[in-house]
Amino acid sequence: MSKAFISAVCMTKIGRHFKLGIKNLIHEVTACMEEKTGSRPDYLIVASALSALQTHQLDIASIATQYLGWNNIPSIRVETGETSGIAALELAQYIIRSGAASKVLVVGVEKMTEYPSNKVNADYAKILDYDTEYVRNIAPPNYAALVMREYMRKYGATRDDIAEWPVKMHANAVNNPYAQLRFPVSKEAVSNAMVISEPITLLDAFPIGDGAAAVLVTNESARSKDALEIVAIASATAPPLYLREDVTELPATKAAWMTLKRKLEAHKSGEVALQVHDSYSIYGILALEALEVSDRGKACSIVPNLEYLNVGGGLKARGHPIGATGLYQVAETYELMINEFAGKHYRGEYALIHSMSGPDYNARLALLRRW
Amino acid sequence: MSRPEARVGILGWGAYIPRQRLRASEIAGLWGFEPSITKALWIEEKAVAAADEDAVTMGWYAAKSAITRAGVDPQEIGAVFVGTESKPYAVKPSATIIADALNVSSKKLSTDMEFACRAGSEGLRIATALVASGTIKYGLAIGSDTAQANPGDVLELTASSGAAAYVVGPAEEAAARFEGMVTYITDTPDFWRRDCSHYPLHGEGFTGDPAYFHHIMTSVKMLMEELGLRPEDFDYAVFHQPNGKFPLRVGKKLGFPKEKILPGVVTPWIGNTYNASALLGLAKVLDSAKPGQRILVAPFGSGAGSDAISIIVTDKIVERQEKAPKVEELIARKKYISYAQYARSRHIIRRIF
Repeated sequence: MSKAFISAVCMTKIGRHFKLGIKNLIHEVTACMEEKTGSRPDYLIVASALSALQTHQLDIASIATQYLGWNNIPSIRVETGETSGIAALELAQYIIRSGAASKVLVVGVEKMTEYPSNKVNADYAKILDYDTEYVRNIAPPNYAALVMREYMRKYGATRDDIAEWPVKMHANAVNNPYAQLRFPVSKEAVSNAMVISEPITLLDAFPIGDGAAAVLVTNESARSKDALEIVAIASATAPPLYLREDVTELPATKAAWMTLKRKLEAHKSGEVALQVHDSYSIYGILALEALEVSDRGKACSIVPNLEYLNVGGGLKARGHPIGATGLYQVAETYELMINEFAGKHYRGEYALIHSMSGPDYNARLALLRRW
Repeated sequence: MSRPEARVGILGWGAYIPRQRLRASEIAGLWGFEPSITKALWIEEKAVAAADEDAVTMGWYAAKSAITRAGVDPQEIGAVFVGTESKPYAVKPSATIIADALNVSSKKLSTDMEFACRAGSEGLRIATALVASGTIKYGLAIGSDTAQANPGDVLELTASSGAAAYVVGPAEEAAARFEGMVTYITDTPDFWRRDCSHYPLHGEGFTGDPAYFHHIMTSVKMLMEELGLRPEDFDYAVFHQPNGKFPLRVGKKLGFPKEKILPGVVTPWIGNTYNASALLGLAKVLDSAKPGQRILVAPFGSGAGSDAISIIVTDKIVERQEKAPKVEELIARKKYISYAQYARSRHIIRRIF
């Protein structure tokens, strides 16, 4: 099997792009990619979680090729809830490794601002089991609130301890030109913000924003001189939250980590650039523990010291255009390792990207290595 | 004096605010809003029309005061325009009811206008143009609304009732003459109410930057450019005020200090009176303005458009200020009601007979 590489990346600023539809957003990053690479891919994968619900568009991948004038290029849409971006990357590397294509363009896109937030939130909640959870009015922030409450009870963590997360994320996003929320916040602001689902406040939760990011995955002969190797992508699923013994553990993340761990020689904090999924503050904390960056119940205290953690501000402050988010994580990591990103350059060898959907209903880990 | 509107001015102005007040905190508490939301929007209480008040009765009262201040014979008024999005009859003009009740001449133009919150100011512009062209001697423009809001929607905190009216006529007779008027309009669907729907819908954040802020800032800049004026040249700046915060924010972006905006802010104490919103703010400023002062007024209507008008106060204003109730007096004249009484007053409780 051939190796798979990330050869180029493009991002748009996340925000309320009232003048850009989903096809325009796709074009923003494909045009950027054509300019960077001077060529078209031989396969297009579009990751989008909500395109059918928010823009009424099925088969967005084929429609995108028509809009771009990319005749005959095969295309496919990938949707696995909030991990759609990394799932698309997972598929792309398999296509490359199989030899079926040499340049696969992965575009993550989400148009989130076509409707008022009540519809957006309702559609987002469909990442949970529709028949069992959604119809009982359970939405992702409700579960995150339950998990956060249990974490605080079990480990004696305080509201302020967990506020370390959004404080760090907002501080990072200030330097990220593509971030949606480029302003710092204090712990006090976090706890005084509007309550979303007790104890989660507005500043524990990701903002709603449109975005698109693109990642070019190639084989060795087509790779650019500045490339990262995709060492492996591991994924797993998990039982619903209400069937778990311990809701403060992320079982899918943990399972994926176990399969990936042996491939990562140096994985302690400070030696690996990290991107973790923090749709709500508590999930960022739990991800660090599931990935063994911290002992259980102790991650809050190490957050301020992790220099290469969510350098772009995480879902919390960079933003979370659902299906595009995983590719923003990859694109930021690429820039961080190859060039400079958000005022930082990472010289280490490895980067680990974590993505999950809802309360870890599926998790995907991508291990990237400097080539 | 090449601008036609410079031949025209405001002869009289009038206001009406219903007595009933509902505290925003009561609405927020009922629906489970975060208590801080009333501060974030800067809304303390809102005026609620009683069971026997509507856009016609309120518009009539405001117009009566405007005619009294103007000191004109209603028989010489040649046009009556009512801007409203809550007319009592879907089909049948409100303007005709008000005009006849005021004994306005039957030889007139008269119609209701709809452009969300700025139909009243479009009425003002058209009446001004009719005077400037010599088609009519005096014109009456009214903005009056009993604004609807879906119970539990964030708009319910502010949607209120009130009216403002203006008599326009030759600049020589004016208490305040127009210096210039411009309007900027695009198709921007930020807020709407479909036919037969009881309540409007809105696009949340879309009502802000691409709608309210973009349109007001564009029209005001256009006006200042055409007239060669800067924010420093104005003594007051009055903006449409869907809440207390927006006029301050748009004013700041345009370079107007808070001190010039606050005198024309009324929404925190009476709510957003829609078509009367900016026009009531202007009425409040006129109530105490001094000859020679220059006033900017910029109404906004969803859908969307904004007018920017520059007005210069004349020495005739002083004697007219005391001739009718002032906006501050109408704001102070109040009695508090409960949400239940509000629900009854605004016909939110559904009865079958």
